Amino acid sequence: MNGILKLVINQLRRGITKQETLVTLPCRAAGGAVAPPADCSVTVEEAVSLWTQHFLQHGVSEPLSSSHYIIAHVLGKKTLESVERRRLRETLTDKERECVWKLCSKRLTRMPVQYVIEEWDFRDLTLKMRPPVFIPRPETEELVSLVLEHLQSEQVMKARGKAAVHCLEIGCGSGAISLSLLHSVPQLKGIALDQSQEAVCLTKENASRLGLQDRLEVRKLDIMKDAALIVRDYGPVDVLVSNPPYLFTEDMASLEAEILKFEDHSALDGGLDGMSVISQILALAPQLLTNEGRLYLEVDPRHPPLLQWLVEEQTEGLHYLGTSCDLTTRPRFCVLQRSG
Amino acid sequence: MPALQFVHQLVFYTRRLTRVALTRGHSPLWLSPVVGWPLIQRAGKKYRIDLPVLHENDLEEQFVRGFGPGGQATNKTSNCVVLKHIPTGVVVKCHQTRSVELNRKRAREIMREKLDVIYKGEDSELLKIKEESRIRKQEKRRKVNENLQKKRLFKETLSASKQGEDNR
Repeated sequence: MNGILKLVINQLRRGITKQETLVTLPCRAAGGAVAPPADCSVTVEEAVSLWTQHFLQHGVSEPLSSSHYIIAHVLGKKTLESVERRRLRETLTDKERECVWKLCSKRLTRMPVQYVIEEWDFRDLTLKMRPPVFIPRPETEELVSLVLEHLQSEQVMKARGKAAVHCLEIGCGSGAISLSLLHSVPQLKGIALDQSQEAVCLTKENASRLGLQDRLEVRKLDIMKDAALIVRDYGPVDVLVSNPPYLFTEDMASLEAEILKFEDHSALDGGLDGMSVISQILALAPQLLTNEGRLYLEVDPRHPPLLQWLVEEQTEGLHYLGTSCDLTTRPRFCVLQRSG
Repeated sequence: MPALQFVHQLVFYTRRLTRVALTRGHSPLWLSPVVGWPLIQRAGKKYRIDLPVLHENDLEEQFVRGFGPGGQATNKTSNCVVLKHIPTGVVVKCHQTRSVELNRKRAREIMREKLDVIYKGEDSELLKIKEESRIRKQEKRRKVNENLQKKRLFKETLSASKQGEDNR
């Protein structure tokens, strides 16, 4: 095994990569673990190349970025770009090599990179990640931007003065949305709810790590089952925000392995039309919001017209302000307002 | 050939930065893509205040977009931002961070620096700073040499006077 790896590395050094040779890399133990080369040194660059090839061979998505992020993380950096050029050509220490092999082997099982390195960035925050708690998506960073634009607008700042602003998040997951808002708006006080105990624990952990635990209350509550209690204890608030499960049940089966195997399905499945949790939030919003308070939702691109219709035809006390698109120009965010 | 499969599945999408205005009786609310960031970093260098202003309408952002609905349905870690300034054709590529919003913000900062060099040439802030740094280094070197000279002269004077004493 070590002999074969030596051969591969020597060939890489000579600038030759042979697919056939790579196929005979160390065999996998149960669970996808690959034993590290015991007496064979690799440079950072070589490790990146080796594992990119290995991921490719085994159909792992984003083989290059996976390799980059994991190895950078072992070297104490967030991206490979942040690693000094010189360091890239130096060999990994024994400890580093072992760590790289251990983590990359996990990635071979299709575990998402964020779970492998147990952290990820959301806007300017670094959050702890742990399966099966839902991993924040890049689109949701824009949802936070939308809410911040409103909270930091002259109009709102003037009206509030130094008084506290209250926000309530339904389905907080790792706490990304609430914690980002708290971090950027000093006078904001938040409540974050999730029906998953793991999500509640992770949000609390992230809040502590960021020193925001005093301004965030986190509770294990289900918007579908505990509606009356939530309205009684936490309404009304100035801002209601949610990235609720919004996938259509029929689309669940075709999700990539990273999501299907590792993330909490109840954080994704929104029922037949993806609207089950969204409809509940819309129904409760008039009771949860102050007058002129706003509701911000991330949804599936097919939902905005449905929401607009629901609100105009069936919901008293709520009106539809508008739809905003995400980075890929898909309609993604719905903004609504409580009206007297 | 597995190597190129994942590349073929990606579609690059270019987008002009005009957002959907909020409607329904309210005045159109133009949502700028990157909000919540202070325009001028207080802790940053002073020169950023003098960099050219960037108009979002002059910019085109390119993102890697897969098939399917995106959002919760995908978990992609690639978040490279490619920003193009239409009037000048300057292109900035940024994947310095793990956050797409941070990369967009950073891409704009880099764009402002690049445009500054283009617009002002020799007078650009970046070149001014480089020039200031060069002059400072030059001045430092001159002072060091001056001090060395003084020391040498002092030693020579010292040894000359000692010789004189010995000779008496």
